[in-house]
Amino acid sequence: MIRPNLRSTLGCYTIILPGIVLLLTFVYLPVVWAFSKSLYEFEVGGSARFVGLANYSEYLTLDPTCWPSVANMLMLTMFAVCVRLTLPLIVAKLIHSLPRERWRHFYRVTFLTPIVVPGVAVQLIWQGMIYSDQGMLNSLLRGLDLAGWTHGWLSDPHTALAAVMMVGFPFVGGFEVLIYYAGLSAIPDSVNEAALLEGCTGVSKFFRIDIPLILSQLKLILLLTIIGGMQGFEGLFILTRGGPGFKTTVPGLWMYFNAFSFQRMGYACAIGVLLFLAILTLTLLNLRYFKSAENVKGEA
Amino acid sequence: MGRWKLLTIHVTLIAIASMTLLPLAFMVNNIFRSNHEFYRSFFSVPDAVKGLASVTGSMASGDESPVEVDDQQGQTRRVPPDEAAGMYIQQIKRGPKMAWAVLRPYLINSLVVSLLTALGVCAIGSSTAYILSRYRFMGSRAALMMFIATMMFPGVLTLVPSFLLVKHLGLLNTYWAMILPYMAGGQVFAIFVFHSFFKGLPEDLFESARLDGAGHLRLYWNIVLPLSKPVFSVVIIMNVLGTWNNFLWPFITNTDGSHHVVSSGLFALATSAHAQNFSTMFAAYAISSVPLLILFVYATRPFIRGMTSGALKA
Repeated sequence: MIRPNLRSTLGCYTIILPGIVLLLTFVYLPVVWAFSKSLYEFEVGGSARFVGLANYSEYLTLDPTCWPSVANMLMLTMFAVCVRLTLPLIVAKLIHSLPRERWRHFYRVTFLTPIVVPGVAVQLIWQGMIYSDQGMLNSLLRGLDLAGWTHGWLSDPHTALAAVMMVGFPFVGGFEVLIYYAGLSAIPDSVNEAALLEGCTGVSKFFRIDIPLILSQLKLILLLTIIGGMQGFEGLFILTRGGPGFKTTVPGLWMYFNAFSFQRMGYACAIGVLLFLAILTLTLLNLRYFKSAENVKGEA
Repeated sequence: MGRWKLLTIHVTLIAIASMTLLPLAFMVNNIFRSNHEFYRSFFSVPDAVKGLASVTGSMASGDESPVEVDDQQGQTRRVPPDEAAGMYIQQIKRGPKMAWAVLRPYLINSLVVSLLTALGVCAIGSSTAYILSRYRFMGSRAALMMFIATMMFPGVLTLVPSFLLVKHLGLLNTYWAMILPYMAGGQVFAIFVFHSFFKGLPEDLFESARLDGAGHLRLYWNIVLPLSKPVFSVVIIMNVLGTWNNFLWPFITNTDGSHHVVSSGLFALATSAHAQNFSTMFAAYAISSVPLLILFVYATRPFIRGMTSGALKA
């Protein structure tokens, strides 16, 4: 790190200028607008009326979708956290325990391959091929002589949310596997050798050595999953549009409908701000809790 | 490790991998099946493929007796085997042909948007990160913080106001409505990754070049770029993946549908009359995966190396 002279400093400013301008225009300005416009009631192109915090109070007290949709969001997020912290980790551990690098590479590539399919296509495939009337799930049930169990999985209010959760089964994402694998590879040989000498192997080594040492990877996935789960609604938009009724509506989706179907831009901004505050709180709690967990580990 | 234990691990991994890939296998199978076949039974080989195999088999053994084929109108006709083979091939090609015709403009749009975005992100991200990692001047730390702090703002906060902004700037239904916001957002991750890499480069390299009178551009071009190819590949791949998969933003900003990219185009396709033709839809999903598959084949090794070398850590 050097301190450049004046002429060179001007050069520095010139070079970082385009990035800063883009950042201010397309990131910071929308952030400011999100807060300021949430205080108004307006349509695109229409005149705006200042309403103070009315949008917020309306959403939190009058909107019938508010609490059911928050409950849906929490269910979806908790389920995602449970499966993403466990299944890819088990797979990564299994791959990592193979003795030959050739096989380890093969399995990493195999599990990574599905990322080439666009997310929209994945949702549409589950909707049209697996959950549809003549789809894979119902055909399988008929084949097993369980025709009575067949369902419109996404249209039945009792199963819609569960069906949405199960999209992506068996939940072994290539990214997660790679990140956990990287964590497992980073465990120093000396630790592994010491564990072996002490007779700590297999499942007990997994819980006592591996998991504490890849805590930072687990933290990363936990954080990304929570953030993604709280704000994600693309999948729901494609699969169910929040229906039947409001059984699969989440706040993000409701924000979308308010903005782009009902033309209530200010109200949508208010929902966005509330979601942001919720995500920020959880993120800070998360970082704090995990930091203390790591400190404890360091002291032990 | 014991042989049985090894076998158990392989069997478990292969079982999980096949469950993961199963939907994709059925997707490919369904490209070649008519709606009629789809409704009749979910698990079966396409009639056209079966028919083609039997016809070529009988032709190879010199059997020229006519065979029965369902034509496009669904009527059964008795035709000579070579004509039957032609009809089967037509049936096999139908889905992919239709899907290609619809998807081609979307693919071109996706390529334009993804490439320009990746190029912009690499250029802006690496040059900004270079300056911020090697020089200390007034505001340099603040600038870095300003970039990193944006990771705090989730997309859901800025979705609606970003739309309002793009509309305000008159960019709706243009490439720029996608490229500029993607660049603004994508550069942050790029700067984060580049910054931590550039910081680790030894100062001696730069010092000797600087004594020779090299300016910012020369240093960047001759020293930084050649040393950081693996980092570039991680940034490019992550960026292209993100851009290619983004569905909501192109869907919102293409109010007249003229600049649909692959993902928003697929959704438009699924809500259009084409959705009645299952083989077209399944072919469209398959075709939409091909560009990333090509990227994947060329870039897996550097990508896996980049990811496992710890470019990503909390």
